[in-house]
Amino acid sequence: MNRSGEPIRQQPVIVVYFSHADHRYQPLQQIDVRYEVAVAAGTAVRAVERSILWYTEGKGEEDIGVHHFERITAEPAVAVAAAGGAFGDLLPRSPLSYEGMIVKVRWCVRVRLFFEGGRDFVSEHVFEVGDIPAAALADSTSV
Amino acid sequence: MRFPRFFSKKRGHRRTGSEAWGSIGEGLFHAALVAAGLVFGGLLVTGIAVPEWRINHDFRESQGTVVGKGLARRITAAGTTWQPCLRLRFETEAGSREAWAMRGSVASDRNQALSRLGGMELGEKLPCWYDPAAPETVVLARGYKWWMWTLTLLLPGALLAFGGAGLARSLGRWGKSEERRAAGGTLPLERLVSATQAAEKLPAVPSCDDLVNSPGTVLKYRLPISGPESWTLLGFGLFAVLWNTVLVVLAVNAGLDLLGGRIDPLLAVVLVPFALVGVTGIVLFIRELILSTAVGTTQVEISDHPLRPGGRYDVLLAQGGSGTFRDLSLVLEAEEQATFRQGTDTRIERLVVWRSPLESWRDVQVTPGTRFEVRSTLRVPPAAMHSFATEHNAISWRVVVRGRPSRWPGFSRYFPVVVHPAGPAGRQGTAAEARA
Repeated sequence: MNRSGEPIRQQPVIVVYFSHADHRYQPLQQIDVRYEVAVAAGTAVRAVERSILWYTEGKGEEDIGVHHFERITAEPAVAVAAAGGAFGDLLPRSPLSYEGMIVKVRWCVRVRLFFEGGRDFVSEHVFEVGDIPAAALADSTSV
Repeated sequence: MRFPRFFSKKRGHRRTGSEAWGSIGEGLFHAALVAAGLVFGGLLVTGIAVPEWRINHDFRESQGTVVGKGLARRITAAGTTWQPCLRLRFETEAGSREAWAMRGSVASDRNQALSRLGGMELGEKLPCWYDPAAPETVVLARGYKWWMWTLTLLLPGALLAFGGAGLARSLGRWGKSEERRAAGGTLPLERLVSATQAAEKLPAVPSCDDLVNSPGTVLKYRLPISGPESWTLLGFGLFAVLWNTVLVVLAVNAGLDLLGGRIDPLLAVVLVPFALVGVTGIVLFIRELILSTAVGTTQVEISDHPLRPGGRYDVLLAQGGSGTFRDLSLVLEAEEQATFRQGTDTRIERLVVWRSPLESWRDVQVTPGTRFEVRSTLRVPPAAMHSFATEHNAISWRVVVRGRPSRWPGFSRYFPVVVHPAGPAGRQGTAAEARA
């Protein structure tokens, strides 16, 4: 119970298992993931979104590119997908994961649950595409 | 009861919150802009456009006789203004009427307004137009003020367009996740990627179409130059032209005043610093022009394009001009570029994260009419990150030619190249590598 006497709402827990244990893939390779969801009893999920995407991190504004996206809203399928499931796709040739100085490119799997009432919960699991080494400053030159 | 979160929170690999609520503020802001546009537009239409339209369509023509002259005084926060006006007697369908009509423009000086009245004589006949619904309203001129119509349409139109587009975007995003919006192609990035690389299925890799449309004289492609030098020259040129255009307009006005025996002291005072800035602008432009042309043109040709990690490519450097270069070097660089907002400003930060000197030459003698031509080999690092370009982030590769002429300041000239990711069979070279 919280201070106002309401029951504390537990956050869902989503566990994702990658087909490669080291979470490392090469371009044009198949990625398969399996996920399990644990939500508090009585929580009603109205939609589930499963996606494979990349996004940028670093000093600049975030850019995002979705490679695989599926949204499940049909009633019997939602109940199944909200408990767990599997999905996958063939990875594209680009972009590769990159750990730069001010620009970083990250690949991830996201499972997003939409609850009755408008709230949502997303679980993000990062994986690597390619094997580009981390960047270093070149002669400490800033242009 | 829990108050909804307006922004999502990231906790480790989890994010919670409602994006629908997060976009409420944005939607309200744009709705306010639309409302302001409607109100402002309504005021302008009813206060300016409709009366002007009625004068041109509904008002009846008559012949007025000047029976009185006067000045209309208006006291505002900005001061007192005066406008000449005439009392007219004119015939309407309901009989003879008398009313005041404004004539001429508003003046802040009473004597100036009075002098404009001097040309009118009592008893003079003038065409006039009266409002059949209110015959005491009479005007001496008809027509449309184009600038007023432009203003009427422009300001509320801009508010409505900006606010409406933002509101439509907010409604389109309502309740949709970031991934769904991107997958649906509603984010600008999605359009950018699909436009540039859909055919080759290389998402976020910039197109190199513009880099391979110019054949080289020796090698396959001539790389286009892209550097701060050209932009600086263009910037100085534009500034010099625009500033001196304004200066000429002011100077012509001052000259006409002088011919008419008048001197506007304020204009004269303004003209001096304006002329100094204008001359400085021309001098700077000419200096940049001399610097960029005196050194001579630089050309870079390459044996293949786009480049691949681990690939080796022949490069031809051709430097024109005359005189001696203390040194000349060829460098391969990779640069990260991040665009971000800081307050209301959009800033761009650039950082070179890879620099590989290819070759350098000392005491290069270039004679007019001939070029210093030299071949070199460019090797892309096997673990190189490919070129990457999105709306706010980029990783770009370029060949840089740096030189230090003996008589001129040093220069850096940039020749962008595109590095594609390694092919499916692993990192690969090119024909040049095979030959090597």
